[in-house]
Amino acid sequence: MENYYLLGCIFIPVLGSFLLPVIGRASEFARNLTALIMVSASLVFSILLAGPVLAGRVITISHELPLGFNFILTADALAVFMAIVSSLVGAIIVLYSFDYINHYGNRNEYYLMVTLFLGSMMGLVYSGNLILLYLFWEITAIASWRLIGFFREKEYVLKADKAFLVTVFGALLMLLGFIYIYQITGSFDLPVIKAAFKTNPVPDIVVILILVGILSKSATLPFHTWLPDAGVAPSPVTALLHAAVLVKIGVYVFARLFIATFTIGQIWHTVVPVIAAVSALVSAGAALVETDMKRIIAYSTVSQIGFILLGFAVGNEIGCAGALLFILMHGLAKGGLFLCAGIVEQNTKTKDITKMGGLFATMPVTALSFLGCAFSVMGIPPFGGFFSKYLVFSGAANSGNMWITLTFLAGAFLTIIYLFRIFNLIFLGDAQKPPAREGSRVMVISVAALAILSIAGGILIKFPSDFVQIAVKQMMGI
Amino acid sequence: MPGHAILFPIIIPLITALAVLFVPKRAGWAKEIVSVAGTALNFFAAIILFRSNLNFSIPWSGFGIDLSLRLYQFSAFIILAVAGFAFLVTLYSTASLHAKNYAKQFYVYLLLTFCMVNGAVLSDNLIVMLFFWEGTLLTLFGMIAIGNKNAFKTATKAFIIVGVCDLCMMTGMAITAHLAGTLTISQIAITTGGLGGLAFILLVIGAISKAGSMPFHSWIPDAAIDAPLPFMAILPAALEKLLGIYFLTRISLDMFKLDVHSWASTTLMTIGAITIVLAVMMALVQKDYKRLLSYHAISQVGYMILGIGTLVPVGIVGGLFHMINNALYKSCLFLTGGSVEKQAGTTDLAKLGGLRRKMPITFTCFLIAAASISGVPPFNGFFSKELIYDGALERGLIFYIAAIAGSFLTAASFLKLGHAAYLGKGQSKTDVKEAPVRMLIPMIVIALTCVLFGLWNALPLKGLIQPVLGERLEGHNFAGLPSNALLVIITVVVLALALLNHIYGVRKSGKAIGASDHIRHAPVLDSIYDRAEKRFFDPYNIGLHIVNLFSRIASWLDKAIDWVYNVMVVRTMYAITGAIRKLHTGNYSSYILWSIGAMVLIVIFLIRSI
Repeated sequence: MENYYLLGCIFIPVLGSFLLPVIGRASEFARNLTALIMVSASLVFSILLAGPVLAGRVITISHELPLGFNFILTADALAVFMAIVSSLVGAIIVLYSFDYINHYGNRNEYYLMVTLFLGSMMGLVYSGNLILLYLFWEITAIASWRLIGFFREKEYVLKADKAFLVTVFGALLMLLGFIYIYQITGSFDLPVIKAAFKTNPVPDIVVILILVGILSKSATLPFHTWLPDAGVAPSPVTALLHAAVLVKIGVYVFARLFIATFTIGQIWHTVVPVIAAVSALVSAGAALVETDMKRIIAYSTVSQIGFILLGFAVGNEIGCAGALLFILMHGLAKGGLFLCAGIVEQNTKTKDITKMGGLFATMPVTALSFLGCAFSVMGIPPFGGFFSKYLVFSGAANSGNMWITLTFLAGAFLTIIYLFRIFNLIFLGDAQKPPAREGSRVMVISVAALAILSIAGGILIKFPSDFVQIAVKQMMGI
Repeated sequence: MPGHAILFPIIIPLITALAVLFVPKRAGWAKEIVSVAGTALNFFAAIILFRSNLNFSIPWSGFGIDLSLRLYQFSAFIILAVAGFAFLVTLYSTASLHAKNYAKQFYVYLLLTFCMVNGAVLSDNLIVMLFFWEGTLLTLFGMIAIGNKNAFKTATKAFIIVGVCDLCMMTGMAITAHLAGTLTISQIAITTGGLGGLAFILLVIGAISKAGSMPFHSWIPDAAIDAPLPFMAILPAALEKLLGIYFLTRISLDMFKLDVHSWASTTLMTIGAITIVLAVMMALVQKDYKRLLSYHAISQVGYMILGIGTLVPVGIVGGLFHMINNALYKSCLFLTGGSVEKQAGTTDLAKLGGLRRKMPITFTCFLIAAASISGVPPFNGFFSKELIYDGALERGLIFYIAAIAGSFLTAASFLKLGHAAYLGKGQSKTDVKEAPVRMLIPMIVIALTCVLFGLWNALPLKGLIQPVLGERLEGHNFAGLPSNALLVIITVVVLALALLNHIYGVRKSGKAIGASDHIRHAPVLDSIYDRAEKRFFDPYNIGLHIVNLFSRIASWLDKAIDWVYNVMVVRTMYAITGAIRKLHTGNYSSYILWSIGAMVLIVIFLIRSI
């Protein structure tokens, strides 16, 4: 039975997405609803998988294929956790899209790409074979390319090309790394690779090649500049890129390969945190200078991804757990921020925060949701971001590298400052004329749901935390 | 008593807050009645819990983060004090805020603050404590922001300053947990060597910033102007001091094994001494009732930090005694400020005057509280200050001098304040009346407590503070009259000098509000004061300048990286493809040459590989 859950989780959205344009010809509403159901199916099936996985089982589907391209799907605690996070945030974003995207053309393609995007994320998460993982990785690249350039203006398409080229460049280097591993182990299957590298770490060249892929997908310095540029996409798409799918792929693969599958040389436990620290600081600084709302939030993502990488890279249990919780909390909160920005952008017709102000009066729910999500990103209790931030810092402190820890402390200061800057400029101060309206009911419910989930994630931290602890134990083989 | 009873101080305010939140808008006095009833119940619970030892623990987030609470002498004392202030200030707010449209929001924030302060005090786990402690940031922001249209700027300032310090504290906790191997506060015992020193500094930053010490103080004077007055009376004046000093004491006495002659002790005393002197210098020249008080709220923290920083028993007892005394007289002073603001319509000292006859009860309360803060015998402030003087003198003359200089300036500024607001001829509106009774009761109760804690200082010292320190005191007893007669004589002389200084200042400038002008415009000080008033020395502004500079550099670096992608890569590709295109000349002979050349290379490669 669980095997069907696992297959359904991936192939309902991946294959089903191609039906959406057909349904769309008959009825707009039916298509929207079908897309939502498909994405929710991933969520439901992943939750159904959580039961057996939390009991300590690992569900595997395996078919031998020639040339090492074996079809292997694995559902362990890490994969299920990641799948739940992505599909939960993804489902809320699809719901929000109902009212956002109906002003624009090409809606059939929009729903096709979004559903395919989320489905291939599921495929990537559950992949137990490097080639399968690469395949889904590139499907997300294609989907994101179409979605970033969705409005089809020349400049936007160029930015979509940039995102595509940078991430695919990284992915190709990563593929070289995979081939290198194949040369050593004779297999692309993760269990085989895991057994082969049980005693010794993988060669540094492999780490470098795969790391370039990860950093380019996760928009980390120096491969990050495509992400702020991708803000030209429709707001639900940017939310998807930042919160649910794209940038989380890189850090997920980091966890999947560098922690759960093989060990990396000791030096990387210092090098990766240093890269992450520089990335976190530089992008936080850039976020303070930018005046485009979506670019600011995008730089914030680049900065927060640094924290996630830090947590994974310090190489201890607590940091790793912190990073996983960070993925959850950041996904919820950042998704909320982008969706709020979408409401503001659509109703004020501008993205320049210096031309806004006083919107609290006319859009209170959006403003409060934005503030709640911002608090979660800052790591203020009782929001969920508090615990994830503490655990990452605790992991860094336990690794004994205080300079890195203090650098991230500075990054956390800047987070507070730039988020308050953007909140105050948009929602407080003198009102602009004429005052913009509140978003539609569905949109407002979506953002409020994300804000409420952010606060629930803090108060009910026990549940995600228990899950994460099991995942970490599995990953680190304790 | 069942262990779950420990949850009452957290749950009662929480439920009350939610109840107020759901009170309908048109329900008249319902929100006030619910709030007062809730805080009264909370006070009752605190009294019942006092003197009991309770422990409570349930697992929460793993990795040592258990929701564990501990009620013992120290936390029970703070809980009781918080509950008392909570009840009185809520009662006061029902009169002073009823007409305001933000009243309901204010009660919700206020009650949530009580919930979180109680939670922080009861926590026996560092992260749980931080959860509650940092949670007060949200209500702090809310309570300041509702004050007026532009109050959000001050609220943001407060949030950023306190938030940054809380993050420091979080990092300090991470390092402490790493060193101690546990997050349970009562089990932590580490030294300040190496990493421990870093952890100590980070934790102290969190504690003293909550208490409002320099250099983390600069939002308080701004909030005094922008925030609703009861906020000032309850948070910066009372609760934040209790919370900050409580945790500072836990850090310095329980969690870290500090030596009397350690750098940690000297650092604390230095911060204390500097805060006392600089903040009171600023207080002296203020011309607004509330702003003047707010600088004293900062300055008085210096005494507590100095006292605890001495690490000698007399200093610690003095510091803790001063903590509770300050909470009393400072909130009383703010409450008098609030009643003046409500009745006379302004807190600008230039417009006030002669309120003594119109508001005699407010004036009497002010008089008692001002005498207490100035250290006039036999009020409570006198006794705690004498203990701190004693401790400071034991550790170094310079610290004593700073403390006594602070006393001189404190007395001088309260003479000015009292003279300008209450004495002299009435410049303010003629129809000013005494404040309503719900505002008077809290003031009278607190003022009477000031007198009680002075005349019968054995009550707080033996009943509340000395049990906290337990064996550390080894038979010392600090109740009763001060032991060092010489220090008392010096104190009295200094107070007399302050009075003379005031008379001189008033004569020289011709008006009460000008009593400090001769100091304000003294050589050297004049230019320093000018710059301070233009906020040259505001650490927040300095910090933001540094942040802006950094972010400009970071942004430039980011643009440079982007240039690589947008320009350099593109140009390089065009150059390469352009060069290759040139090879396509359309000339057959050259194509044949290329082919032959390539074939030769292949042949060479094949021969070599054989």
